[in-house]
Amino acid sequence: MTDAPGPYREESLRQALATDPRVMEQELDVSIAGGRVVISGTVPTEDRRAAVTEVARERFPDLQIDNRTIVPTLPASGGEERVT
Amino acid sequence: MIRIAAAGDLHVGADSEGTLRPALVEIAEDVDAFLLAGDLTKAGLEEEAEVLADEVKGIAVPVVAVLGNHDLHSDQADLVRARLEDVGVIVLEGETHVLHLPGASLGVAGLRGFGGGFAGASATEFGEPEMKRFVRVTIDAASALRACLDRLATDVRVALLHYAPVRDTLHGEPPEIYPFLGSYLLAEAVDTAGCDLVLHGHAHRGTEWGITPGGVPVRNVAQPVIRRAFAVYALDPQTSIDRAASRT
Repeated sequence: MTDAPGPYREESLRQALATDPRVMEQELDVSIAGGRVVISGTVPTEDRRAAVTEVARERFPDLQIDNRTIVPTLPASGGEERVT
Repeated sequence: MIRIAAAGDLHVGADSEGTLRPALVEIAEDVDAFLLAGDLTKAGLEEEAEVLADEVKGIAVPVVAVLGNHDLHSDQADLVRARLEDVGVIVLEGETHVLHLPGASLGVAGLRGFGGGFAGASATEFGEPEMKRFVRVTIDAASALRACLDRLATDVRVALLHYAPVRDTLHGEPPEIYPFLGSYLLAEAVDTAGCDLVLHGHAHRGTEWGITPGGVPVRNVAQPVIRRAFAVYALDPQTSIDRAASRT
């Protein structure tokens, strides 16, 4: 659970998601409003997506966690660009 | 025509086994080289590099890589590098590598680079020792990049970085963090030495396409940006030779 005061709670979670070994994603967006934590952005694997929820729940056990991160499907290259 | 596959920001962890290899199986049919623009691992752990090594092991084209900030996080960069080199990946940090391809030579100048920001809003080597050290890292990286490009006497020259050399490829990122995403000094080095293409990663919310003030194409190949396993760029060696001749 975090002890960060209200205005600092979003950033405390963003910092945790960037540094917690289970996630380590630097570019996730966090917003907290109305008792709900919303996290968005992309993560490379389903395990790391699940870890996003874990980390958020550990820090904010009394809030609803809305994990909107996505694990993109990465097709092989779609054609080529001729660079001049 | 030289065809280069490129990707960055793979963030490979223990949970990434099998995520890259399916897309790489046919790569040799389409490209001459596969370039990796850093943040190859999640936390810079040796075991993560082993997972990536298994993903790229045995693919039929040369793999050339630079490391990114994630790859340095656990102070195991030497081990990360070693595990990748075990399977033939060429890892560059202030170094060059030349590929002699059918009909043309391709030179890669590779280093991580660093931040500092862009013209009009960049950090300066002034004040506290900590700030001077920060800026000095970028100044030294830019000097190394220029020296690497100057050393390459190949038909086509590519700069392979992790940090961005221009603002263009950062559009979509919050402007407040631009100084942590790249530096204009890298573009200055590219434009001074000459180059045919710059590849970088690091900026997940950025944009693929950019250009240096001197006209060198820049591509942000972070996987969250290109939304595919790798992008492919085709370069005509004759265009590069003509461009180099016009500079002299």
